[in-house]
Amino acid sequence: MMEAVLRIDHLDKSFPGVQALDDVSINVGANEVVGLVGENGAGKSTLLKLIAGIDQADSGHINVRGREVSLHSVAAANDAGIGMVFQEQSLLPNVSVAENILLGHEKEAIRFGFYDWPKLNQLAAVQLGKLDAKIPPDAQTDTLSFVERQLVEFAKVLAIEERTHHEPLILLDEPTSVLEGEELETVLDQIERLREHASLIFVSHRLDEVLRVSDRIYVMTNGRCVAERDPKQCELAELQQLMLGQALGAEYDRKVTAHAVTEAATVRLSVRELRRQGCYDAVSFDIHVGEVLGIAGVEGSGREVLCRTLFGAEGVDGGEILLDGQLMCFGGCDEAVQAGIGYVPAERRTEGIIGGLSVKENMTLAHLEEVLLGPFLDLKREKEVASHWVERLQIRTPSAETPATNLSGGNQQKVVLSKWLMAKNLKILIMDHPMRGLDVGAKAEIFVLIRELAQSGIGIILIADTLDELIALSNTIIVMRDGYISQRFTVSETSPTRLQILEHMV
Amino acid sequence: MFSTNKERLDSTLKAFAPIMVLVVLLAVLGWIQPSFLSFYSLRVLVGESSVLLFLATGQTIVILFGGIDLSIAALASLASVLIALSVHTAGAPGLIGVLVLTTGIGAAQGYIHARAQVPSFVVTLAGLGLWSGTALVIAPATIPVLAGYPVVGWLNSRVFGVSTSFAFAVAALVSIMVMLRWLPFGRYVYAIGKGERAALVSGIRVVRVKMLAFALSGLFAGFAGMEMVARTHSGHPTIADALLLPCIAAVVVGGTAITGGSGGLGRTLVGVLIIAVLRVGIAVVGLDPGYEPLAYGIVVIGAVALTIDRSKITIVK
Repeated sequence: MMEAVLRIDHLDKSFPGVQALDDVSINVGANEVVGLVGENGAGKSTLLKLIAGIDQADSGHINVRGREVSLHSVAAANDAGIGMVFQEQSLLPNVSVAENILLGHEKEAIRFGFYDWPKLNQLAAVQLGKLDAKIPPDAQTDTLSFVERQLVEFAKVLAIEERTHHEPLILLDEPTSVLEGEELETVLDQIERLREHASLIFVSHRLDEVLRVSDRIYVMTNGRCVAERDPKQCELAELQQLMLGQALGAEYDRKVTAHAVTEAATVRLSVRELRRQGCYDAVSFDIHVGEVLGIAGVEGSGREVLCRTLFGAEGVDGGEILLDGQLMCFGGCDEAVQAGIGYVPAERRTEGIIGGLSVKENMTLAHLEEVLLGPFLDLKREKEVASHWVERLQIRTPSAETPATNLSGGNQQKVVLSKWLMAKNLKILIMDHPMRGLDVGAKAEIFVLIRELAQSGIGIILIADTLDELIALSNTIIVMRDGYISQRFTVSETSPTRLQILEHMV
Repeated sequence: MFSTNKERLDSTLKAFAPIMVLVVLLAVLGWIQPSFLSFYSLRVLVGESSVLLFLATGQTIVILFGGIDLSIAALASLASVLIALSVHTAGAPGLIGVLVLTTGIGAAQGYIHARAQVPSFVVTLAGLGLWSGTALVIAPATIPVLAGYPVVGWLNSRVFGVSTSFAFAVAALVSIMVMLRWLPFGRYVYAIGKGERAALVSGIRVVRVKMLAFALSGLFAGFAGMEMVARTHSGHPTIADALLLPCIAAVVVGGTAITGGSGGLGRTLVGVLIIAVLRVGIAVVGLDPGYEPLAYGIVVIGAVALTIDRSKITIVK
């Protein structure tokens, strides 16, 4: 056993009604990558927050390099050599890379109260050099790609080393959750490189990545650390089983394809030669009753904008949208909602739910007409409707009156789904990364739900997190590249392989 | 994420804090000046607060969706001038015409704010200049109301021992309370206040809701102007201007968050009473009325610091 950089003993943390962490003990060795896996609500994020100094434990001890520390603030954690790379990027867009990297610690590069730019850039270059990143320190941050910005985040955390004269401990909270393909590889390679300069705790929902990068894996369920595994002697299935505490049902068997849609089924939504300047062009497709249409494409392929257009959130410059044969011209989301279109946004926390409103209020928000009595809200009926959906979708919440922000990601997503499902006229449901950031169990549930919805006759447009999910769920797949549809696949007995789809994406 | 026990206790304390402040203020004043707690002086006190109550009610609706209306007091002054001018010749229809006009002005401000995406404080700050300028141009000095006075004079009477204007203001407040609780409009106001993007993506007509909120704010500015005319028998171009800060103070001291989405009109009623008592209290303890704005300033900062929804704020500007 290497000398422990971080040793955590018997940490407890509780929130009202929830024991978030229950007697958790872990340790991290020097230059070790420790993977942390578990379902949403298992306590991973809470644990990271305690280590990063964002939240404080109720009891227990945290030792850094053999000394007990009190991590009462982010600054205190920084001083102890601990830095966190946040899920949502935390860089300032309007200043240079170097300024971001040294933000708050630019003292060395300040002379007579002014920035010594060459010195600042040089200090930043040292950090970027550790990652072999070819990003000019004087570049403005918002000109960088998502992945490049992620690297700048890494460099920023690495700068702790110079300040504490120790190699830092870096906490990575789902650094890969929004990445695909080549970008994903870049970040995973960087994690390998980070290991030479730091110790890492790596949290991800993608178990294959955790298996690949980690030296050791801790599995958490219900606030407890239930297992410690060596990735070399551990299979994906075993991890899943440990996380869930039971074997995965056949429901999540991705080889089971969606139910067949007959050619003769009526067309629900028809898109003809749709065009939006600078985003996409000549986009045409039909969605039949009960069909799941998957859209594949890299960032910038135009698929996200296309979805937003179909929901009325963006305008069009040409082409037609026909819903049940009727020409649609959406002036805004409200008109799309009226017409029977629902949208599950990728940004769940800002666009999907309103955290401060209760589960019930979130559910009925889009279709209050379903619970009206004359012009007034029928609060009793609203309560009934909400309980119905809580039960129907098995939403785990203390009650329908609980603020939505208190729910885990998967349950929040179910609230978003029920918001649309309660409309009697729902015809099309657009789902933008519906499983983003969800754990295996919640994914499986959403997965089954999507199938059921399709079977009930709703047309679904899907942008999935991974190609596997897309292939497993879709009846038809269209691939977008640079704003055009580059290929179409029909998923029947012979599904397209990931490679086949990928070929047309890039 | 989750709220801790301490936070829950805090929020309970916060919910009752305004009422406790009111009770303590009354007790202290009653101790200093026992006659203050007499029926007569309390009746005067509530009678004095009707203008503030109108303004604070309008202000609350706008603050609840996350905006602010800095023009409301100037619009009330303009309304007083227009009412004074119109009741002479046009009588009651003239009064109604002015109320429709202020409602329309409010709606227009709301439309510009929501459609052109101009922050509400900018739109209404410009409105403040516009409406007080207009009032001064129309009437550089006091306009006495003589012949047409009965059109507004009924406000100056009493029903069941309380002043009609106060009863009317409370009734108006209660009807808006009902709207906020039982109509979709109310739900939308809170939803926009708590999370505007999610509200938009849920298909809520955000522009329409904001317009309606501002229209109501304009209507209540008109009511305030009307009450001013009833009380002073005249219209004056700056008659309500000094009430802008007190009306915002009343909303926030009642416990409505300046960031929107939490609070309500019941709280505003308590807030208005606190401000009214504070005002009388300054006189009772023998301080110069010049100290009043100072007190409002302290109240605004203190109350906002206590009630602001920090989870919503990423950047403070």
